[in-house]
Amino acid sequence: MTAALGSILKGLGVGDSSAVGEVLVISQFTRLPEWTKSTKTKDVEISELKKAIEQVANRLDDLRETSAGVSSEIFQAQKMLLSDSELFDAAVKNINDGWCASAAFGKAIEEFSDLLKGEKTLEERVADLQDLSKKVQASIAGIEITLSIPETGSVVLVGEDFSPADTAQFTEAVVGVITYKGGPTSHTAIICRSKSIATVVCCPEAINLESGVKVVLDPVGNRVVVGEDRSLATKAFEFVAIYNEPLIPVLANIGSLAEARAASQTKANGVGLFRTELLYLSESTEPSVDQQVEKYTEILKSAPKGPVVIRTIDAGGDKAVPFLNMINYSQPNQRPTGYQLLVTDRKFLEGQLQALELARLASGREVWVMAPMIATLEEAKVFSDLARSVGGYQVGITVETPSIASVVSEFAGIMDFVSVGTNDLAQYLFASNRTDSSLGSSPDYWQPKLIQSVAQIASGAKVAGISSGVCGESASDPLFAVVLAGLGIESVSVSNSQVTSVRNALSSLSLSDAQEIANQVLKQTTAEAAQKTALSEIAKR
Amino acid sequence: MPSIKGQIQVLDPIGLHARPASQIVNLVQECGLEVTLGRAGEDFAKASSVLRLLALKIKCGETLTVAVETPDQLLAEQVIAKIEKMLRGD
Repeated sequence: MTAALGSILKGLGVGDSSAVGEVLVISQFTRLPEWTKSTKTKDVEISELKKAIEQVANRLDDLRETSAGVSSEIFQAQKMLLSDSELFDAAVKNINDGWCASAAFGKAIEEFSDLLKGEKTLEERVADLQDLSKKVQASIAGIEITLSIPETGSVVLVGEDFSPADTAQFTEAVVGVITYKGGPTSHTAIICRSKSIATVVCCPEAINLESGVKVVLDPVGNRVVVGEDRSLATKAFEFVAIYNEPLIPVLANIGSLAEARAASQTKANGVGLFRTELLYLSESTEPSVDQQVEKYTEILKSAPKGPVVIRTIDAGGDKAVPFLNMINYSQPNQRPTGYQLLVTDRKFLEGQLQALELARLASGREVWVMAPMIATLEEAKVFSDLARSVGGYQVGITVETPSIASVVSEFAGIMDFVSVGTNDLAQYLFASNRTDSSLGSSPDYWQPKLIQSVAQIASGAKVAGISSGVCGESASDPLFAVVLAGLGIESVSVSNSQVTSVRNALSSLSLSDAQEIANQVLKQTTAEAAQKTALSEIAKR
Repeated sequence: MPSIKGQIQVLDPIGLHARPASQIVNLVQECGLEVTLGRAGEDFAKASSVLRLLALKIKCGETLTVAVETPDQLLAEQVIAKIEKMLRGD
């Protein structure tokens, strides 16, 4: 079936630049010979295998020389795996068991892939191994499977998904990429965003596209249109600042001294999230209070003008801190709650709070302190009592669970402020994972349930007379930041690189306009409709 | 050949991942000694194989035992110290 002119293929857009180009379908299903028992002598099979491995290794060297940065590292890592003597020995053992060279190598790769599977940090290595398996088997069979992409013209690559080894071979002629699978945080998406290549991922209907067909890539519209009329592409909205100051303060997220310094180079109105765990991850023993005071004082002095909101240690799972007891309590990969930490590592937490108080006095800065992962009102009280017995700072918590989101209105006298972690709140609300795109074609934070929950937190905070902010990734999306201001959130904290564009968006309209946009967004029932409504409402103003 | 052992703690936040693993393999190949490592009481992996090292799935905070096949105490200690540095994550 061929896609007709004007047909629309839905997917997930990456970046905001559109492109028109000619489709080049990359088939990742090259048929490799079936695995059979050998009909030759073992020596012949072993020498064939050696020759193929050498050939692939040479090609990896060539690719490494002609590529730079991350791509070059990928080829180097692949070569390291390919030249692993244990891998070769395993393949030779299979040959000795009677398998042909191709089957012997393929099976050896499977054995090692099985050993590495189930570990998130090793997933890319497993993909590398699979890639090597294909290359070596193809080389044994004399099949050419290197991508051959033209050097000139305007090419739109279409395929299931692209491996690091594939993306490293993209030429200047590649103006667009479409994948049937893969989410917005896949390798393909990350590389294409960094190279400003128009990309639509998770577009299953693209399987009907044939090489030579002209298509319009419309990442902003989350779609591909068959044809070459570029005016069909949705334009990214450009905010024009009309006020000197944003509707609500835009603060910066930091985790280290270097980031504090970088943030002070921006127009951030302070720090809205200082993640402290990074300071402890490399310590094997608990640092003394004096050592902590020194570090915090230096960072506080370097931070951009304005309040500095510091989150007490948030560790566990992939962020294990060697000297904390909680390692023994928590399940692997599961974060202990802030309250669990209060129980298992109270001494450490007291030390951290003391250090923060001393650093506050030494630096003369306005410090706010908050605890992560607090799930109930009672837990919030325990933290508040502890923090206030130690220091003279503002005390708050991050709101990351639906259970605490609903009781924010009862925080008067307990908390001075709340900060919403939208990433985790979304995960708890939808039990979703970031790479899964089954929720639809808009980012999680546009889900009506999440927006309603943020609205509830903002109005709860007003009832309690405390301030509310958002420090999750969603605040870094300028359009969503406008919605947050309209919902009654009183500050946002964003990554350093987004301070300017979020400030710009929040300086482009009045509070009543933002409120009206938020009201319209609240009426929607899907994430796509919510995002679209926000965009069309803002375009009216 | 006597084996000299030492214990090290993995402080790299991502654990024993590809980069330190390939550094260890390079080190072992350079010094030409037989080096194995692993968790106490479990099978040790040859430190000359990136794949074997990765397959240990060592996490941040874990303690590893490194065994160097050599009669030279000083040399063994140097190798162990270098491996420890590679797993510091800095």
